[in-house]
Amino acid sequence: MIEAQGLTKRYGPKTAVDGITFTVEPGRVTGFLGPNGAGKSTTMRMIVGLDRPTAGSVSVNGKPYAQHHSPLTEVGALLEAKAVHTGRSARNHLRALAATHGIGNKRVDEVISMTGLDAVAKRRVGGFSLGMGQRLGIAAALIGDPHTLILDEPVNGLDPEGVLWVRNLVRYLASEGRTVFLSSHLMSEMALTADHLLVIGRGRIIASGPTATVIAQATQETVRVVSPQASDLAALLRGPDVTVNSDEAGALTITGATSIQVGELAAANRVVLHELTPVSGSLEEAYMTLTQDSVEYHSSEVPAELTQEVAR
Amino acid sequence: MSAAVATKPTAPPAAKAQGKLSFPRLLRSEWIKFWSVRSTFWTLAIFLFAVVALVVLITLAIHNAPPESQGGPSDADRADPLNGFQAAVFLGQFAVAILGALTITGEYTTGMIRTSLTAAPKRLPVLWSKGLVAGFSMLVFGVITVGLSAALQWVFFHGVGIGVDIGNSQQVRALLGTALYIATIGLLAFAFGALMRHSAAAVSTILGLLLVIPLIFGLVPWKPLKYVEPFLPGNAGQKITMTDAQNAAQAAGNTVGANLTAWQGYGVLVAWVVVVLGVAAYLLKKRDA
Repeated sequence: MIEAQGLTKRYGPKTAVDGITFTVEPGRVTGFLGPNGAGKSTTMRMIVGLDRPTAGSVSVNGKPYAQHHSPLTEVGALLEAKAVHTGRSARNHLRALAATHGIGNKRVDEVISMTGLDAVAKRRVGGFSLGMGQRLGIAAALIGDPHTLILDEPVNGLDPEGVLWVRNLVRYLASEGRTVFLSSHLMSEMALTADHLLVIGRGRIIASGPTATVIAQATQETVRVVSPQASDLAALLRGPDVTVNSDEAGALTITGATSIQVGELAAANRVVLHELTPVSGSLEEAYMTLTQDSVEYHSSEVPAELTQEVAR
Repeated sequence: MSAAVATKPTAPPAAKAQGKLSFPRLLRSEWIKFWSVRSTFWTLAIFLFAVVALVVLITLAIHNAPPESQGGPSDADRADPLNGFQAAVFLGQFAVAILGALTITGEYTTGMIRTSLTAAPKRLPVLWSKGLVAGFSMLVFGVITVGLSAALQWVFFHGVGIGVDIGNSQQVRALLGTALYIATIGLLAFAFGALMRHSAAAVSTILGLLLVIPLIFGLVPWKPLKYVEPFLPGNAGQKITMTDAQNAAQAAGNTVGANLTAWQGYGVLVAWVVVVLGVAAYLLKKRDA
């Protein structure tokens, strides 16, 4: 269980994490979702005491992380792949880490084979690919068989097989009653892996709750209609809760009304419909809706002239 | 009666890691870290080879030098087995200084320090255990190097009357002092590394202190510098690599500034280490990693 109270981190005038309060419960996978620069990594670094909070506090299983007698069996953390001396072999890296807690070579070899590193365990880490580095980071996080697992972007750089493996692993660990807290900027990955979501943007929690609920709340259902009498239908539909957009002649995109309502309204007013389709928003759209006001690094819009140029 | 077998889902129960964090375990971890990077082996090998070879070569050069009447060394200098050591150690110390600095800056430049500090979140024990392992290893290696040099020197030159006399407590103190000096210089470099967290900055600082600043002090004829000079880490520390007689001879030629004895000089070097390491420890505790 991880509990944060008013957790704040400022770097000079810049506020990276802005007074966030949350609880990560054991027995489920909690996803920490947010765009780049939203404060995910900073929050995780504060949990394990690498960064000192400017204000507020965070505890793991009831105590600040540094006060545990056995930090590695309490928390396993992957905070950045390759927080590893490049001149050392993967196995020696894990041996040195394990030695701090008197963990034997048996467990070292166990996590090496668990993470599929057997073939490269004796090679120097400097030559590792991003994916192998990520696996080594996960191996290091698992070395103490920890009650709580904190993984920052664990699937970064992994191949599809590796992504699936991480997903199954964290779900299995959570099913054993452990606390699993993992971050990602990929909504689709989170939708598949996390039971619970914590969405962060510009250092603030903007949504939290069960994954399905968070996605449903952020997903907009729209109705697409094609009709030769599109403008008549649009006039009939427009109301305080309903917006109608038209991106091509004869086609409407309706927000705020169901396909049933639209169809019945059309029938009652003898409007011919060529198409009537309910459209549920994609995860990406939901994510954009959630975070649109809190993205740190906006990619600028493509200028209109340019798109027209391309269209021609 | 059939035994009920509880079927547990997949994955075998992990070998329960029972460990608690402790200082001896941190020492063990740092020991593994220290010896599992190639730079450790290479710098120590270079140090050993350079010092042993230089001691023998310099002894040979002194032995073959022209007689005093033709500008060569005096008979006393010629017979002094320690003469070869001081020049060799002056050069050899740089290998150890680089090793000491890299022991900790290597963790900062690679990001390893974050793994180390996550495993031991109280932080300071990481610094102490790392320093102890590096210091101890360098001391042992220093003793081996000095011993091997003295042995080879004796094998080659005892026939012409040059060789360390193990019965001479002054010579033995100077030789063991040489190993102590080497290890302490390594620790000073380590302390600068911990303070600066950057390999190039730490290495150039320690080289500057050992090489460049004494040179500048020697060249600039400004009297206040003479008062500071004996307290530079290299100058002060090297007192312990010399016999009392050699120190006294040096003091006789020096009219300005302090003349430190062997142990006073070494104490000054230790004070440097304590102060720099103290500041580094304070900052380690305070800064974000």
